[in-house]
Amino acid sequence: MAGGGGGGESGEPEFQIAPMIDVLLVLLIFFMSITSAEVLKVDKKITLPISAHAKKRDPEMSKHEIAINIRWDSKQNKSLLLVDDIAYPAISDLIPYLKERRAKDDKLRVVIRGDKLLPAIEVQRVMNLVGEGGIADISFAASNK
Amino acid sequence: MSRRSKRKLSGEVNLGFQIAPMIDVVFVIMLYFMVMAGAVQVENAHNTKLPGTVATETDTPMPDEIAVRIEDDGQVYLNDDPLDTPEAKQLPEFTNNLKQLHDSSMASKSEVLVTIYANELARYERVVDVLDALSRAEISNVTFQAGSPE
Repeated sequence: MAGGGGGGESGEPEFQIAPMIDVLLVLLIFFMSITSAEVLKVDKKITLPISAHAKKRDPEMSKHEIAINIRWDSKQNKSLLLVDDIAYPAISDLIPYLKERRAKDDKLRVVIRGDKLLPAIEVQRVMNLVGEGGIADISFAASNK
Repeated sequence: MSRRSKRKLSGEVNLGFQIAPMIDVVFVIMLYFMVMAGAVQVENAHNTKLPGTVATETDTPMPDEIAVRIEDDGQVYLNDDPLDTPEAKQLPEFTNNLKQLHDSSMASKSEVLVTIYANELARYERVVDVLDALSRAEISNVTFQAGSPE
């Protein structure tokens, strides 16, 4: 039995702890990486609409993206717009900020993260706002499930 | 003297690195991440361009324009024809029509441009359902009703 993988004198293969730990750690790192891959600027108060066929986000574009969160308060029938955790109760206040960001970055893309119960008019208002800010590239965020 | 050295020896053994508890801990952490991996939500996106704001250097051929209207109750109209029920999230009839349109436009080498006209009180979720159907039909030229909604 010379040279056999961990074979003992009796011919019985021994249990090797070191390779098992290697495999365990690889599995651990794999599961850690897939669970923490999508940690975005997620607003917990927004329930994104579900769309199974939406495109995967392009990691190349992630540094050119700016997320506009639109919350919807169904009790008061009111929406609230948040960008980088700053609320904009008067949405037109956002235009100078968008223009400033657009001037710094030509490839700027606006990601609209709206609540699924939001009326379409609110999204339309935000799209007008984005247009006034001089940005044409927009995308609508959706959840896979 | 011999008793003392024996006690010291057993102390050294206890302080040594224990592999079994480490494997236990790694197993527990791995199980946690395995369970969490099934529940992970991935954020995807539908990309589009706002109309009239993109400058082009060459002439743009006029594509076949298709109007999609979404009513307040969620009913979807394709060029004024009502398709599917407001409850149908997957929009099967609408998707089939769009697929046929896409195939015929590919055959005639023309482009299809879809404009979405969403009513004021239509749910955003319904707009995303329509966008999802469009991406299933492989139509990427999508835009929204231009101008002020006011």
